[in-house]
Amino acid sequence: MTTARKIRASAAKHAVLIVLSAMFALPLVWMVGTSFKTAQQALTLPVVWWPHPLEWRNYPQLFASLPFVRFFLNTFAYAAITIVGVCISSSLVAYGFSRLRWPGRDAVFYVMLMTMILPFVCTLIPLFILYKHLGWIGGYLPLEVPTFFGSSVFSTFLLRQFFMTIPNSLSEAARIDGANEFYIYSRIILPLAKPAMATVILFQFIYCWNDYLGPLIYISNQNDYPLSLGLALILGDYTTNWAWVMAGATAATAPIVILFFLTQRTFIQGIAVTGTKG
Amino acid sequence: MTSRWRQLTHGLLFISPWVIGFSVFYLYPFFATLYYSFTRFTGIGNPVFTGLSNFDGLVHDATFRTALFNTCYYTVIEVPFSTVVALGLALLLNLNVRGQAIYRTLFYIPSVVPVVASSLIFVWVFQPSFGIVNSLLSDIHVNGPAWFFSITWSKPTFILLGLWGVGQPMVIYLAALQGVPREMYEVAALEGAGPWQRLRRVTIPMISPVILFNVILSLVLSIQYFTQAQVIESPPGSPGTSTMFFVTYYYQQAFTDLHLGYASAMAFLLFVLVLIVTVVLLKTSSRWVYYENDHR
Repeated sequence: MTTARKIRASAAKHAVLIVLSAMFALPLVWMVGTSFKTAQQALTLPVVWWPHPLEWRNYPQLFASLPFVRFFLNTFAYAAITIVGVCISSSLVAYGFSRLRWPGRDAVFYVMLMTMILPFVCTLIPLFILYKHLGWIGGYLPLEVPTFFGSSVFSTFLLRQFFMTIPNSLSEAARIDGANEFYIYSRIILPLAKPAMATVILFQFIYCWNDYLGPLIYISNQNDYPLSLGLALILGDYTTNWAWVMAGATAATAPIVILFFLTQRTFIQGIAVTGTKG
Repeated sequence: MTSRWRQLTHGLLFISPWVIGFSVFYLYPFFATLYYSFTRFTGIGNPVFTGLSNFDGLVHDATFRTALFNTCYYTVIEVPFSTVVALGLALLLNLNVRGQAIYRTLFYIPSVVPVVASSLIFVWVFQPSFGIVNSLLSDIHVNGPAWFFSITWSKPTFILLGLWGVGQPMVIYLAALQGVPREMYEVAALEGAGPWQRLRRVTIPMISPVILFNVILSLVLSIQYFTQAQVIESPPGSPGTSTMFFVTYYYQQAFTDLHLGYASAMAFLLFVLVLIVTVVLLKTSSRWVYYENDHR
């Protein structure tokens, strides 16, 4: 290829990519721009992309009119507890599916993978009734307790993939020295699996931040709402004030986007591993 | 104790949290749902066995048929489109473009936006009078539709919302593409294969297992489409019944009307649907999925 043709080909590639990037970025730019408008500015034609001056007060006003701080705290609590559950149970189960050989292991592992395609509605009603008998409805227990019992197949799968890359000689050496399996799991394998655990924690956090369906079904009191339900509330309450709606959306999105930038490597690798090693 | 027996007990001991979880949170409720689907049940008192009457009711339920249609509509269009777009973007980024990481980030960011937030953003972007899309359309003298609030356009708008989140599969495809050995392209080029042939004969076969996995996952998720529609449409299912998806109707039957037996029958049918789709895909996959070493 001649240099001129190379440059033209490269320009064409970039032109396509820039147009596509603009399309992907547009909704976010529009969101942030609107969150700094006054209610009237949001409903002005022709549209204003970026208001001048910026109306900062939407944020404090929104936080004052809805218990947003509570929503954030509820979400953090939900995430923290389930992260503990997932880290303990998924690592144990993943260890059993990767570092130990036992008859029927792979068949059982496939059964676990198959539960990923089981629609959630297929178990919902009996579980709801069960939780009602236990007096758990209205709180987070129905969403938290299962994570202590390996409910996050995704995390178990990710950890198993990682555990399998650790050389078996490490375990063998420890066994010869008389170490029992739990010692090997907790003192040798887990410390080596820190990067994989970080991925699991990150994804569990994002899962909770995102989760709308679980809280919708089980949480009834507005004070107990997580961010997702609280956010949906603004649409119902302030349909006309789009500046507030977008301020809420920005407040919910910004932390996750920042988290993404801080952990980009973990993030992208985590997705790539679970998506390509299936 | 034989060593085989010891291995088994050790293995089961480690996976015991999942075994308990599987029995309590999957196995028991799954069979209970199956049982409820043959009963009339309101959650109070005992279920009353009614044979196949729930299924008979579903066959004659026009709203159920609409919900089934809407879900199939969404799935049949969203899954191929998002697969092609994700794959297309990944191929584009894989062309060794400068600034690949920046573009990848830009395409990926929308998929980390919380689902409720992205729903709210799209309602506003596609707002009929003051949204940016209709405003841009009016600049080129096109009268934009009411999008989420139009019976014709509501489902396509949800599909657009789905396509915005295509960054997740894109990252997966990109990782898979980067795993294709460079020599394979060199050999293909030496044998005179053009770019299109290299794509069809080398790239696609090499990453086909990844495509299969992602297609199955996105099919299973689309069939259960619910959250975005629930957040955006009020009352749920509107306008008309154009966004009454399978799970939307299930949710209404189960949690609003307390027809738990009827809803369980729907859940069971959904399971059968997912099962059929997955099995068909896996069975036909041997024709288009290529496994490098055949021992999977």
